[in-house]
Amino acid sequence: MKFDFVVLGATGEEGNIASKDLLNSGYKVLLCGRNKDKVKHLLKDKKARFAYVDLSDVNATAKVLKKSGANIALNCAELRWNIEAMKACLKSGLNYLDLGGLQEMTIKQYKLDNEFKKKNLVALLGCGSTPGISNVMANYAAERLDSIERIDLGFAWDSNIKTFVLPYSFESIVHEITNPAIILKDGKLQKATMCEFEGVKSFMKIGPQKTYCIVHSEVFTFYKYFRKKGLKNVHYWAGFPEHSFKVIETLIELGFGSSKPIEVKGKTIKPVEFSRDVLKKIERPKDYKETEDIWVKVTGMKNNERKIIEMGCLVETIKGWEDAGSNVDTGMTISIMGQMLHEGIINEVFGVTAPEISVPPKPLFDELIKRGMTIYLNNKEFV
Amino acid sequence: MKKSIAVLGLGAIGRLIFNDLTKTHNGKIFLLGRDVKKLKKLSKGKAEVRSADVNDIASMVKAFEGIDVVIHSVHHEYNLNVMIACLKSGTNYLDLGGLYHYTKKQLQLNQTFHRAGLTAILGMGAAPGITNVIAGYGSQFLDSIDNVEIKIGNIDKSTYLQSSPLSNTYSIQTILEEFSWKPAVFINGQMHFIEPLSDREDYPFPRPVGSKKVQSTIHSELATLPYSLKAKNVSFKIAFDENFVNKIKTLNKLGFLSEENTKEISTEILRQLPKAVPEKIEQYEIIRVILEGKKSGVKKIINLDVHVKGENETIDKDTAVPASIAAQMIVKGKITKKGVFPPELIIPEKDFFKELSKRKINVFLNQKVML
Repeated sequence: MKFDFVVLGATGEEGNIASKDLLNSGYKVLLCGRNKDKVKHLLKDKKARFAYVDLSDVNATAKVLKKSGANIALNCAELRWNIEAMKACLKSGLNYLDLGGLQEMTIKQYKLDNEFKKKNLVALLGCGSTPGISNVMANYAAERLDSIERIDLGFAWDSNIKTFVLPYSFESIVHEITNPAIILKDGKLQKATMCEFEGVKSFMKIGPQKTYCIVHSEVFTFYKYFRKKGLKNVHYWAGFPEHSFKVIETLIELGFGSSKPIEVKGKTIKPVEFSRDVLKKIERPKDYKETEDIWVKVTGMKNNERKIIEMGCLVETIKGWEDAGSNVDTGMTISIMGQMLHEGIINEVFGVTAPEISVPPKPLFDELIKRGMTIYLNNKEFV
Repeated sequence: MKKSIAVLGLGAIGRLIFNDLTKTHNGKIFLLGRDVKKLKKLSKGKAEVRSADVNDIASMVKAFEGIDVVIHSVHHEYNLNVMIACLKSGTNYLDLGGLYHYTKKQLQLNQTFHRAGLTAILGMGAAPGITNVIAGYGSQFLDSIDNVEIKIGNIDKSTYLQSSPLSNTYSIQTILEEFSWKPAVFINGQMHFIEPLSDREDYPFPRPVGSKKVQSTIHSELATLPYSLKAKNVSFKIAFDENFVNKIKTLNKLGFLSEENTKEISTEILRQLPKAVPEKIEQYEIIRVILEGKKSGVKKIINLDVHVKGENETIDKDTAVPASIAAQMIVKGKITKKGVFPPELIIPEKDFFKELSKRKINVFLNQKVML
């Protein structure tokens, strides 16, 4: 079978969501990962097949990609594999999309820009909710201003039942919380205190929540692309509900987020990976519902007047996707952007790029709304 | 007369036992364990070092040769292994407890030890250990016993150069077992196993400890005291810091302590945590046993409190010191009974209290200090 898409890390939560969305949209999808059992339910669809892929082996991955006949690979694996996945795409001649690489990995990924350009391939980085929807919303707002001075953005979420459910990749959470945040301040990228408490903000349908300054890739790409429009300040705000944040803090404090390998009965184990596996087993309780708000606030000038444009994407647990909670906004978005590239809606600007310059806002918003999400512009529903 | 005492396992408590022996034991000391190099360093020339592995009975039999008493201070899951090695080598045995279930199994070796002319004392630390001895001592003032209540609480006012995220003072493996195994409670002559952490409540300890939240945990006192004292009700409750309990509860709730394999890895992760580095130690522990019963037909309450002051040394000495004292009592011929015994049936109480007081651990009978 000639596939339309390859999903790397299809066995993970976001990979599962992205694959399901692609299959629902009628595409043929090659599901890649190490554990076939985790995509069993998706393989019931005749348009899906499984291929074993271990991203640490670039050559073997490239072979699978090439053989698939697809043009586009969606990388939904843990971000530490982004470079390997990109190299495999370069080798096999596939366009590449991923879910983001925080600051450090994103910078490394941009170093592959020339290689992607040379091969007339697109590498679109950060195609989830945030980075992803947030970048496109920022661009939509920026386009409506003559100049921009400041962008604040972030996420906030909560659940109706205050029990711990792993909100997203444990490895990413640990990275975000235990590394110094990077902010753009007065035109300079600078390190800020790690996970500093930033006060309480109020969010649509979520209410007041504590926010923390964490490291995120948007700070870097916004600086890259909006600097010429005057952008001098970018600040990322993460909002976790208290019941979830406390648990994460305790786990990190007790060493369960550590990457330093330990020996247990002759086996080498990385605590962070062990914890991820334990936490993934926690099931969402019956009637558990999540609400997430992905938001940006762009401050700038329009006709010599100071203007603030706020945008938000509100995600609630969607019918038929209850198992995924509000994580649908990440897996669905990479699927939508992949499809936009496939259908020629995203202009093929070759090289390494980001959603804020490559993804046309309106078509993306339409697709998100179609899937049950709500887009807000200055607190009004965007139609 | 041979007078050699060995410490098997030089963990936190093993080191304190060795420390007490170097100060008080007038005879030879052996340090036994897997890492001979480490033991040599710890011995500081005050002990002979031998290699022994608690998983390998033959290695222990060889290492125990010529030793009178082995104080086993490795984890309790090895208690039976070490006892078997003692039987084979003709060595007397002491341990720090068997968390109820191991103790029950160990008691079955009573006849075997008796026939071999050897003494084994089970649970000779603070709790079990001091708790058993004072309960046994208090029982002589009563004709019949209705209730035995054991309560342990401490307070730590030390200043730390570096604090530990999980300020556990004894084996994390044991603590996790205490938090996940069902505690035994003896009610109306019957043993019941209740849900862990299900009966946390405030308890007013005497000053300076004050009010603390105590909870039942699985403990080996319950394996022997109901029968040794012929009591109707026996309970054991220990205070744990609220913060500590919440952290362990979180791990438990998330599934980190559920399956054996998962629990093992979690334990190892917790073992990696930095240890607290005290600047000035100021700790205090109170071990309390209250006996309620009848004397000459009249209701009577006996209250025994043991006060442990930790000044420039941790209160954990109260777990180490009793083992050192009892081992020395064996080599000095003050303990002569043969077989497997819990402390309340074998330790000469007054001599024991005297030795404790030399180490600034004082026993109070009905609020009056005893010497």
